[in-house]
Amino acid sequence: MNVDLELVQRVQAGDKKAFDVLILKYQQRIVHVITGFVHDPVEALDVAQEAFIKAYRAIPNFRGDSAFYTWLYRIAINTSKNHLTSRARRPPAVDVDAMDATNFYDAPELKEFETPESSLMSDELQQTIHQAIQGLPEDTATAIKLRELEGMSYEEIAEVMECPIGTVRSRIFRARDAIDKQIQEIMGEGE
Amino acid sequence: MTVNQNELLSALVDGELQGEELDDALQLLDTDEQARLQLQRFQHASDVLHGHGFGPRNVDLTTRISTALENETDFSEIVENKETAQVLAFPKQFWKQAVSLAVAASIGALAVVGVMNQPQNQLVPNPQLAVVESETAPMNVARTGERWTVQEQEVEERLNSYLVDHHEYAGASGVFSYARVVSYDVGR
Repeated sequence: MNVDLELVQRVQAGDKKAFDVLILKYQQRIVHVITGFVHDPVEALDVAQEAFIKAYRAIPNFRGDSAFYTWLYRIAINTSKNHLTSRARRPPAVDVDAMDATNFYDAPELKEFETPESSLMSDELQQTIHQAIQGLPEDTATAIKLRELEGMSYEEIAEVMECPIGTVRSRIFRARDAIDKQIQEIMGEGE
Repeated sequence: MTVNQNELLSALVDGELQGEELDDALQLLDTDEQARLQLQRFQHASDVLHGHGFGPRNVDLTTRISTALENETDFSEIVENKETAQVLAFPKQFWKQAVSLAVAASIGALAVVGVMNQPQNQLVPNPQLAVVESETAPMNVARTGERWTVQEQEVEERLNSYLVDHHEYAGASGVFSYARVVSYDVGR
């Protein structure tokens, strides 16, 4: 079963800790989406908080017809628009449909809300990460590429690489750990 | 944190945990602040690889949201209340028949509105029609040949259209099953 769906079912059964995991998983992405509307980072956090609270209250009605993130994304967009309306500011003319959530970052009209600095940082980050992957041992690099770029499950990767699922898990973790250290260097963390 | 715990969090990012392992991960996140930070970092790395952009890395909204949700109703209570609540629902057939009856009554009311003028020497007995009291002006109805007509053309056209458009209710179960509605106009 999809882990998001399982987490949602646990929340519906009364397990609030499961909702914390959903927040941890998606808060960065949601805040980034909201920043496209609100711009101010502090305000974006407030709107994101409001969006998650709305999602929690609506979660008993979530039936799994769409992916959880798509549903959450829709709530975040509506919350952002309502926030702008209440502040008497006009929301962006483009209305990104929830079904296009995965293509959101391709929308040129919305990219104009990124600052030049953040856009540059984003490109630099991606470039650095891809270079980091190239510097990994071959099996580790293959495992993370199959997972992140091809979207394969651990079971599928194990079949392709002819190794146990536990080995796949270990390789992906090592790759992710190495990528995380590169990101820390770029963002000046851990100094 | 141990390597196993880190692997657990990495697998959680990929949605590859179920059952007991998912329980272990939730327990770890609930008790270990470092685990929560690590999960965020792994998730961020994945987001960047997927081109999900440059967002704040060390933001954690869980505490703020948990505080805000402290007074929210626990969903398990809501589920229990739903199971014990008794709702008396009318059967679907009841509503279907009620609607049919209402439509038939309105058609019948239209059909008997007005007063007929009968010549004194006609051989056909003058039927006694029920007069429906209404605030609208009565229509003048006269017999022309083999059909009754309403002398106000506009009213006749509207009545004709109404009868034709709702003829399907004539066969509604239990109501008007023997009725047959015909059109004044040829071809309808």
